[in-house]
Amino acid sequence: MYNAEVVLPLSKKQTVTIALFGNPNCGKSTVFNQLTGLRQQVGNFPGVTVDKKVGHLKLDNGSKVRLIDFPGTYSLYPTSQDEQVVLNILTNKENTHYPDLAVYVANVTNLEKHLLLFTQIRDLGIPILLVLNMADMAKKENIWYDTKALSKAFDVPVVAVSARDGDNFPQLKKELIQLIEDTPNTPDLFYQFSKAEQELAQDIQAKLSIANPYQALLIAQNSGRLPFLNPEERSLINDFIVGKGVNRLSLQVREVMQRYDRFTPMLKKAIKRPDGVGPTLTDKIDAVVTHRVWGPIIFFSLMLLVFQAIYSWSGYPMDLIDAGFAGLGDWVKGTLPEGWFRDLLTDGIIAGLGGILIFIPQIAILFLLISLLEEVGYMARAVFMFDNLMQKVGLNGRSIVALVSGAACAIPAVMSTRTISNWKERLISIMVTPFISCSARIPVYTVLIGFVVPVTATWGIFNAQGLAFMGLYLLGIVAALISAYILKQLLHSEERSFLMLEMPEYRMPVLKNVLLNVWEKVKTFTIEAGRIILLVSIVLWVLASYGPSNQMELAETRAVAIAQQKNLTELQTEDLIAANKIEASYAGHLGKFIEPAIRPLGFDWKIGIALITSFAAREVFVGTMATIYSIGSVEDEGSVRDRMAREKDPITGKPIYTFATSLSLLIFYVFAMMCMSTLAVVKRETNSWKWPIIQFLFMTGLAYLGSLLVYQIFK
Amino acid sequence: MAYTLNHLQLGERGTIATFSDEQAGCKLMTMGILPGSEVKIVRKSPLGGAIYLKMDHQQFAIRNKEAECIMLK
Repeated sequence: MYNAEVVLPLSKKQTVTIALFGNPNCGKSTVFNQLTGLRQQVGNFPGVTVDKKVGHLKLDNGSKVRLIDFPGTYSLYPTSQDEQVVLNILTNKENTHYPDLAVYVANVTNLEKHLLLFTQIRDLGIPILLVLNMADMAKKENIWYDTKALSKAFDVPVVAVSARDGDNFPQLKKELIQLIEDTPNTPDLFYQFSKAEQELAQDIQAKLSIANPYQALLIAQNSGRLPFLNPEERSLINDFIVGKGVNRLSLQVREVMQRYDRFTPMLKKAIKRPDGVGPTLTDKIDAVVTHRVWGPIIFFSLMLLVFQAIYSWSGYPMDLIDAGFAGLGDWVKGTLPEGWFRDLLTDGIIAGLGGILIFIPQIAILFLLISLLEEVGYMARAVFMFDNLMQKVGLNGRSIVALVSGAACAIPAVMSTRTISNWKERLISIMVTPFISCSARIPVYTVLIGFVVPVTATWGIFNAQGLAFMGLYLLGIVAALISAYILKQLLHSEERSFLMLEMPEYRMPVLKNVLLNVWEKVKTFTIEAGRIILLVSIVLWVLASYGPSNQMELAETRAVAIAQQKNLTELQTEDLIAANKIEASYAGHLGKFIEPAIRPLGFDWKIGIALITSFAAREVFVGTMATIYSIGSVEDEGSVRDRMAREKDPITGKPIYTFATSLSLLIFYVFAMMCMSTLAVVKRETNSWKWPIIQFLFMTGLAYLGSLLVYQIFK
Repeated sequence: MAYTLNHLQLGERGTIATFSDEQAGCKLMTMGILPGSEVKIVRKSPLGGAIYLKMDHQQFAIRNKEAECIMLK
């Protein structure tokens, strides 16, 4: 029908690029993990935040393979960002990800639903291996299939495997070698073009010098959203389409129908399943798990478990990491000679690294649980149950996981939104999750709440402080939902939102998939978000440890003089020096500089310093307060609160932490984006600085207004 | 009389004739929900808005809005 380009035989290529395709739920990632194991890297496809997994393997004939795992999709007609990626690459031979070979994974227990995309990729002229996955399930369900007949029918090699236990993978690799060594002839097109399509394809092939007619047809169909076309090419293609008098959508429908009509009868001879089976295990489980009453109860119990796990189980490893880094810092302090280098190492770098690694237990635990739920097939059910509710505020059923996890820590929560395929819903989830009060806010709330609600106060049978705590949490949730609703109105999206979700059969999770996913999330966070966190913590350290000209030295001398005069102990002297130094530092100057701006909120420059330093992490607020009030060596929440209670305004002589100021500060901490680590993760997950900056301004702006309002009312 | 999928009662079956919305229809077709397929409504979502379908050996969740564009025979 057409001539394939003359190219180098694949066996001579240094690296052969093989792409893995398949529908969602075909077991593609299991095949990928079986083939590559730990030799895989995860990144983003260019320009978007869609996971790109690349693995490496060497075949027995010596060929080096770069295996790319493409997002699961049903066809080459995209309705989401993940699916668009597949189309972008397959319609552009110049793309660095364009494969030499394709491996198509299909679920053999449901083969008739898995072949549409297969026949599309086959028509692109990419040599393709059809892998029938879940052979073990087929055996259990007494499904009979004939790989030879399938191979003959589609004119491609076919191999049946069970990716779960690695069954028949040697054969799969042999077939790959075969494909590499004798590049097969391009088979005839599976799809039969209409006359108009033929002419359209020919015009585009000639104009854009494209060898494959189906590729040309796909370009015609999708020209508006293919990034590699320039405006002239786009308008040219539009003219062609208008000239031929065809309608894009109708062409699509015709193509899809014809493909099904062609391969469905072909399958009748090659695959047979026993008919008339009763309700399956999946049916029985879903009768309970998606039940009107039991469904939500089960879901919220699971979410409670997730919350409990990140909130409490991660405590032990986190304490260990904390103590380990503190110990390391002390050891370095004791070993190295005094000086700026030692301080940079201990207070800047080691503290910064500790601040990164401290999140790993939470990330690991959350992704262990989420991957398990995802692998088993449960997440699709959660989406089904809560789609309606979440849609109203522009979110997705999967966003609930992010919001619940956000109560422990926003970082793993933001990372968990990657499974939401609609970009707008995902972006909104990322933007609002940090409003949910995370565990780092608790120490701040604990210190401040006593100034707002007395410990002994009760409200009915409830402890008033407990209620106030709950109120702060609710405030965060309300802020998240309202902002989500506002963002839903503001953000425009080309993507039409669909639910249309396949509910996979329940399966035992593949442990290897779960562990690889956890490993990959931890690695990504540590490397990509970690370097931003480290950088910012060094900057914050510089701000707190250095001051303009010789002010730091003067502050120290002054403090020592006062200490001698007042006969202070060594510990008290150190605390006083620290307090004087932080006042003289750049952070202190910055605190004083912003004082006019935060005065209307009831804050003085000392609180200003704490606001700046707690950008490293909210709980740093307590430590900074301790340093400023020269009780740095004590630093527990109780003594910090006691000391704050005694703090008086130098001019009026009234207490600083009045009801109004404390409430205003609480409100500020509920809303403000005071966490560089979250911003670093948002940058990584949205692939731009735009969204974390907007998030920072929006949240901090809201915090400012909220605090202003509260202080002006209650002062 | 032409009626749509969302008119089916729980547990009822129907055969798809065509789709009234081409874009949604095309997406459904790519997932294997085709004219001629027999579908059964298994249940509704706890908070409404979506339905749980069973078709051949597969199960799907779709929104009521999407069900409205599935015309039955």
